[in-house]
Amino acid sequence: MVEGRDFPTNRGGLCRKGWTSAEVLTAPDRLLMPQLRTPDGGFREAGWDEALDLVAAGIRTAQQRDGADAVAVFGGGGLTNEKAYALGKFTRVVLGSRLIDYNGRFCMSAAATASNRSLGLDRGLGFPLADLGGADAVLLLGSNVAATMPPFVQHLEGVRSRGGLMVLDPRDSATAKLTADGAGLHLSPVPGTDLVVLLALIHVVLAEGLLDADYVAERTTGLPELRTATAAWWPERAEAVCGIGAERIRETARRLAQASPSRGGRGAYILTGRGVEQSTQGTATVTAAIDLALLLGLIGREGSGYGPITGQGNGQGGREHGLKADQLPGYRLISDPAARAHVASVWGVDPDSLPGPGVPAVQLLDMLGRPGGPSTLLVAGANVVVSAPNAGAVRERLASLDLLVVLDTVPSETALCADVILPVVQWAEEEGTMTNLEGRVIRRRQARPAPGQARSELWILRELAARLGDASGFPTDPAAVFDELARASAGGRADYSGISHARLDAEGSIQWPCPGPEHPGTPRVFLDGFPTPDGRARLIPVEHRAPDDDVREQAPLHLITGRLLEQYQSGAQTRRVPSLLAARPGSFVEMHPLLADRLGVEDGEVVLLRTRRGETRAPARISEDIRPDTVFMPFHYAGEGSANLLTNDATDPLSGMPEFKMTAVEVLPVRSLERSPA
Amino acid sequence: MRIVVIGHGMVGSRFAADLAREDPSAEITVLGHEDHDPYNRVQLSSVVAGKADATSLALEQADSPQVRVLRGVRAVAIDRERREVVDARGDRHPYDRLVLATGSAARIPDIPGVRIDPDPAHDGLISGVSPLKDLDDARRIIDAAGPGRRAVVLGAGVLGLEVATGLAARGMRVTLVHHRERLMERQLDPDASDITRGALERLGIVVATGVDATGITARDSRLTGVRLSDGSMHPAELMVLCTGTVPAVALAAAAGLDCEHGIVVGEDQATPKDPAIFAIGDCAQPPEGASGLVAQGWDQARRLVQAWSPALATGAAPVPAGPRGGDLVRVKAVGLALVTMGRIDRAGPSGHAPRSVRLSDPAGGRFTEVVVQDGRLVAATVIGDDEAAASLSAAFTRATPVPRDPVHLLARPLAVQGAAGTARPVTEMDDEEIVCQCNGVSKGAICQAVHAGSTNAGAVSKATRAGTGCGTCRLQIEELCTATKAAAAAGAAPDGPSREAAPVQPPPAMAAARAATAPEPADAPEPADAPSTRGGGGSSVPVSTSSATAVPEPELV
Repeated sequence: MVEGRDFPTNRGGLCRKGWTSAEVLTAPDRLLMPQLRTPDGGFREAGWDEALDLVAAGIRTAQQRDGADAVAVFGGGGLTNEKAYALGKFTRVVLGSRLIDYNGRFCMSAAATASNRSLGLDRGLGFPLADLGGADAVLLLGSNVAATMPPFVQHLEGVRSRGGLMVLDPRDSATAKLTADGAGLHLSPVPGTDLVVLLALIHVVLAEGLLDADYVAERTTGLPELRTATAAWWPERAEAVCGIGAERIRETARRLAQASPSRGGRGAYILTGRGVEQSTQGTATVTAAIDLALLLGLIGREGSGYGPITGQGNGQGGREHGLKADQLPGYRLISDPAARAHVASVWGVDPDSLPGPGVPAVQLLDMLGRPGGPSTLLVAGANVVVSAPNAGAVRERLASLDLLVVLDTVPSETALCADVILPVVQWAEEEGTMTNLEGRVIRRRQARPAPGQARSELWILRELAARLGDASGFPTDPAAVFDELARASAGGRADYSGISHARLDAEGSIQWPCPGPEHPGTPRVFLDGFPTPDGRARLIPVEHRAPDDDVREQAPLHLITGRLLEQYQSGAQTRRVPSLLAARPGSFVEMHPLLADRLGVEDGEVVLLRTRRGETRAPARISEDIRPDTVFMPFHYAGEGSANLLTNDATDPLSGMPEFKMTAVEVLPVRSLERSPA
Repeated sequence: MRIVVIGHGMVGSRFAADLAREDPSAEITVLGHEDHDPYNRVQLSSVVAGKADATSLALEQADSPQVRVLRGVRAVAIDRERREVVDARGDRHPYDRLVLATGSAARIPDIPGVRIDPDPAHDGLISGVSPLKDLDDARRIIDAAGPGRRAVVLGAGVLGLEVATGLAARGMRVTLVHHRERLMERQLDPDASDITRGALERLGIVVATGVDATGITARDSRLTGVRLSDGSMHPAELMVLCTGTVPAVALAAAAGLDCEHGIVVGEDQATPKDPAIFAIGDCAQPPEGASGLVAQGWDQARRLVQAWSPALATGAAPVPAGPRGGDLVRVKAVGLALVTMGRIDRAGPSGHAPRSVRLSDPAGGRFTEVVVQDGRLVAATVIGDDEAAASLSAAFTRATPVPRDPVHLLARPLAVQGAAGTARPVTEMDDEEIVCQCNGVSKGAICQAVHAGSTNAGAVSKATRAGTGCGTCRLQIEELCTATKAAAAAGAAPDGPSREAAPVQPPPAMAAARAATAPEPADAPEPADAPSTRGGGGSSVPVSTSSATAVPEPELV
């Protein structure tokens, strides 16, 4: 039985996913033994020695033939900090491969790249979530927290009571509805044009002199360039692109300005979610959001700020401790000689033995099984055949591998593609830490024993390391792994060196950076300056380009994807909880009644969706909560109705973020197809 | 490749910057006769209206060693034989390709007394009279403006409307004078013009149509009044000339290139006589006609850059047509939402007759007309409704499919409606309806918990998990506790009216549209080639066909 605990982030709140999370532990098809692929295409159970020997032999063969990069690793933002750290170390030290990345690339990479570039640091929210409650204005860009993270909504009560909640979303989502009855404003943009809205907001702030001139002069650089870059986005021009009225854009800018501290307001926050980030111009869009926040003097001031809303349990920690292609623990760049020297010394290896930067997730998946690409892949904590864009192509890539090893708790769709499935423990069965959306390091504690022969990834990595040479760098005690992680992070941007399991047990939680055992942690970053060479934040000009796959005559509608309250990520966990599955049994296509009428489709009728990458079928769900030029699909489902068979794997050149959130789609009633001769 | 660009305004500067980005081998020289950096002329009327700060107008320009910008250097001749441009200092600038982006000048009407100097530069105008073409003009106008002062705005095109409403917003007493009976006659039909006139009059602007300015009065070389062709006299300290623009073609004409209204170019922006010379922006006259809008000039610049980019040059791929919207006209007027788009003579090649539907509400200051052909919006006029203007503009520029029945387009249908209609009171909900979305708890389950002894919201939450997620339903739970207890005491169920009793409500968008078009037979039958509901191939289309001799609108849109 799970119960909510009074905690500053969720204030005791849980949604259905939380209440029912214990059922994931006892899923009927829980993996209890290693599984090996049989010649007839099925699986058989095996002992650990046999499975691990097979994996180690496969790795050795591939690397002897094609070199270290013949083996790649794909991690997940659901792994604890300790496991993420160990997986990164294993890849760089034992495999010697540069090819590691993780599903956080699909989630936080655009915001992370933009925050690092503009502010010198990415800590998710640079302030405690509870600070939101005191603000006069909150601009929520592309995030449906009321469905994805319901306890979050408690922190919006204050701003709603003052009429200051502003939500940008092409759907009248549960979160957008929170702006009703005078609680704020809902802006419904044409999908793919979020950046235009932000450029126009910046334009208004500059044109009407609403900026915090003292703050901009003292704490930023780059105003002239930003001014000229946004001069061409006057609201009436933006309006014809984004579909939001010029006066509404002005009103939004003015409300934010009125709430800003320089104008005597109680404070304002600008928050971004996947809706605006999952785009080929995701970094540019977040950059514009940060530019806007900087112009208004919001960042690095108590009671105001900018932050991205992290989507996975440990999306923040995952990107700090080595799962990312270009990073070493402590949010250090793997291309930085000083960072390599420090981490190599903690690991007891020669810095020159560490590989260089790998490639981002989408490119990594596309290399699999191709000439010159890796022939062996280890997946831990990800279900890429459901969660990656252009998922049909990903399935083909996995099939072309010589060896696919998947570490999972249940036979996920990706595990079922594997040659070897290794059963692992999950949340209530292990010790460890996670870092939440506020940069708050929290403990995970073991409440029950591992079922069957499921093992921790820490144990599996040590066993593989032993078979491949030397296991001495791979302790299996999570507290010991954390201590090493803390040392590796010392002096890095994400400095955990003052944190330990014992300290967390005593104090509850600590927000990083925490550079020493006496350091209290850092609830609010940037108060004294930005971690850039000159201590100032960068105002960076950005340009709007159209989405990679924009609407056209053959595909005239916008497809957007997102989450449902009752499901999580690829659904591998939540589709195994009977009450959640019953609430949301399958995929659907949300469409406006006017679009349904045009297509001649009734509620519940199956339609065919076709994009440049693939097609799938799903029943229509008719709702007035969406623009008539747009359809929405949840991305939690596999097989027929799987949204990511349709989505675009084009990526943002700066962050590697794929363009999940805007795909040109053709929608056809299946009935009419069956009637007409093919 | 040596490229010379003449003109460093909105279009020339963007072309040079974009070309430098796309083609690292291009050596670009830009001749700009003005001393200052390029700025956003489109926003000058917003500066006059006090909505934009003059310092916010500076536009992005090329920041590349490939681009040499010569400011304050006027081109005086094109030597086509030697492929050189001669500047006023006598320097010669050789080119492989020459791009003319010389823009246009304000047209100064021939009103006796307005010119004090035969030189056609506007510096020769009597004090108190100015066009609005550059920053100096804007400053002059703002200096002359002030609460209680009187202004005459000559010309009721887009710029005239923007200036008139802007000056009215500054507290001036404004008379808007137009030589035609219809305001914005290139875009508006008589009904739309009447509704616009009403909106202007509500803003305190006097509108005089069908008259011209025939003379002025002045004292100490300052304007004191304007005489109109009907003999009336209008005291004024300021007259703003919004009477169109004249493309700057002198250089091209002197070089022997074909010039009609503007410099004649083909679809590729090249001049037919000299394939090495191109014209873009206001000075150009493309086959489809010049709109005088910056969007058209920017699209021409973008297409030219793409056509020249090395990536495309080898593949010989055709440059895709720009997004639609080159003829979208949005009036940036304080207190008046007005947008027109599309021209029926450019509707697709299909034989399907366009369908046109309109909502006309003079008393409410509202007007919307849409023209739909082959499932796409091909033209529209919207007055008095910001959000409808925005969503129809987006639908038009993106060519997204529109509802089967165009009548739905009249009532803000394309954006999400916003959270206007709120839920019924929880006491009127049915038992199976969900109260707590986060945990999927129905009203019935909550009532049961109350009956079973959970008498406050906290106890209900413990028993059912309702209210333990986002917490927004806690008030509803309290309400149910109170109502259920009260009902139990009275021996009745706390249910509201039964389902049968509730009238079935049509969706709000449809209902509004139906109301708006009540007298018209709106529900025309599909298929798409049904005749227009207004009985003919777009006879009611509000946008005029273009006329080669018409004076183009000012570029400031």
